[in-house]
Amino acid sequence: MTANEILDMLNGILYTTGVANFDWKLIVMWGIGSLFMYLAIAKKYEPLLLLPIGFGIFIVNFPLVPLMGFSHEGHAELLRIFYHYGLEWEVIPCIIFLGLGAMTDFGPLIANPKTLLIGAGAQLGVFVTFTGTVLAGFTLKEAASVGIIGGADGPTTIYLTQHLAPQLLGPNALAAYSYMAMVPLIQPGIMRLLTTDKERKIRMRQLRPVSRTEKLLFPLVTAGIIALLVPSVTPLMGMFMLGNLMKESGVVGRLTDTAQGSLMNIVTIFLGISVGATMHASKFLSWKPLFIFGLGLVDFGVCTAGGILTVKIMNLFLKEKINPLIGSAGVSAVPMAARVSQVQGQKYDKTNHLLMHAMGPNLAGVIGSAAAAGMFIAMFD
Amino acid sequence: MKKKAFLMGTFWLFIAMIPGFAIAEDFLGVPLIPGAKTVLKTKKRIEMLSPLQHDKVVEFYKKAFKNLKDIRIRDWPESTYIEDDSNNPWHSVTISKKQHQGMTSIVIVKDNWTWIMGTLILRFIGVFVVLLCLFAGMSIYGAILFRTTKKAIPAKK
Repeated sequence: MTANEILDMLNGILYTTGVANFDWKLIVMWGIGSLFMYLAIAKKYEPLLLLPIGFGIFIVNFPLVPLMGFSHEGHAELLRIFYHYGLEWEVIPCIIFLGLGAMTDFGPLIANPKTLLIGAGAQLGVFVTFTGTVLAGFTLKEAASVGIIGGADGPTTIYLTQHLAPQLLGPNALAAYSYMAMVPLIQPGIMRLLTTDKERKIRMRQLRPVSRTEKLLFPLVTAGIIALLVPSVTPLMGMFMLGNLMKESGVVGRLTDTAQGSLMNIVTIFLGISVGATMHASKFLSWKPLFIFGLGLVDFGVCTAGGILTVKIMNLFLKEKINPLIGSAGVSAVPMAARVSQVQGQKYDKTNHLLMHAMGPNLAGVIGSAAAAGMFIAMFD
Repeated sequence: MKKKAFLMGTFWLFIAMIPGFAIAEDFLGVPLIPGAKTVLKTKKRIEMLSPLQHDKVVEFYKKAFKNLKDIRIRDWPESTYIEDDSNNPWHSVTISKKQHQGMTSIVIVKDNWTWIMGTLILRFIGVFVVLLCLFAGMSIYGAILFRTTKKAIPAKK
């Protein structure tokens, strides 16, 4: 072999490495991925999702990595397969809702169905943010997908975004899960601002016991009503109610355990890494993701305010008043938002236990955000 | 003379062969169909009457918008409604199916906040309606269960 041939060979090897194809923007994405992994590991902010998302961001932002593209033969690469079958086909959000339904006890909501209205009122931020996003120059579909972040429901955000604006999947999902984890930081100030001392001390009557039959009928009635009124979100809510029916029936323990356990864990891994993998520097580093993060915060704030204001309006007509601190739990970060209501309530009255009361609007918020998503899908279908 | 007539004829034949939208005016970026008579024109709205049939008008606009994303074409009983869901300055083109004195009506409307706010408010109310229906459903089955249980208890006694 001549020296030239050896040099050519070495050149060829060098140009197939990532080093020769490096770009400074990738370092920024490594930083972003590392930040989310740090938040997950050190701060324990939504670790089940932020860890794989953060790692997904990190690993796809290396040059020439065969992860999110197509091979020379035209086959999808590893993370592209997860993304295509899990997210593009909108399968993963529905399976996550199956698992969530299998974990959820709707007793507090069934015992006090008035709290459904709080779940509806807490979607105010979704529509307000839509307006702000359109003003900022986003298209209507993009605005709808950004607005739903305030619903604080990860699978619903992913479902709607994939449907209307898949190019925003990464920033929207990241904003949704990040702010969900920061609910204890975002909500208390707003709750104090919008309530008086007297209102914060309102005691609510203990919730009535809920029979097994009621809990069995609830998923059927809910699935039926959603299917009739907002059919576009039936895949999501249908799976949610199936999971809940499995749980409440008590006769399919193995299926319930699988749905809320191993199945949920498997899809969470695929979800996290697929969402992270969509955030390549070439797509992510623009003004839009930063704007989405900023708007997401406003969205959460307005949704919190919407829930509290709904309670205050309801109290004008009710004999038995509702403590407005549970209004903020209409933001469906289950059960974090309900815990925030409990903690805030106890600051003003240590004997006032609001957790179970707050679970009602918390669960209603899940249905409310799905209904809002259905409204947006219907707007464009 | 014959030469002049021939040249004039060729000239007009050439003009007639140029695709309509290449020389058409536009309203907020929407090409105006050639030969249409403007009935009303403001900054926000234009109404026109075209001698072409409804299907030809729809075909014209489908061709004109073929490269635009986020365009939706809705087939309503009375008209065809073409809506823009992106951030173009125009909002919709409505092409009537019923002919008025042998003419097809075309209405082009500017993107406006009235439509956006109106649809948002309606949909926000829609969320309440959905949850109210669920509330009603829960109240009904709750009442049925309560009465069933109430009847069962004296029977046991």
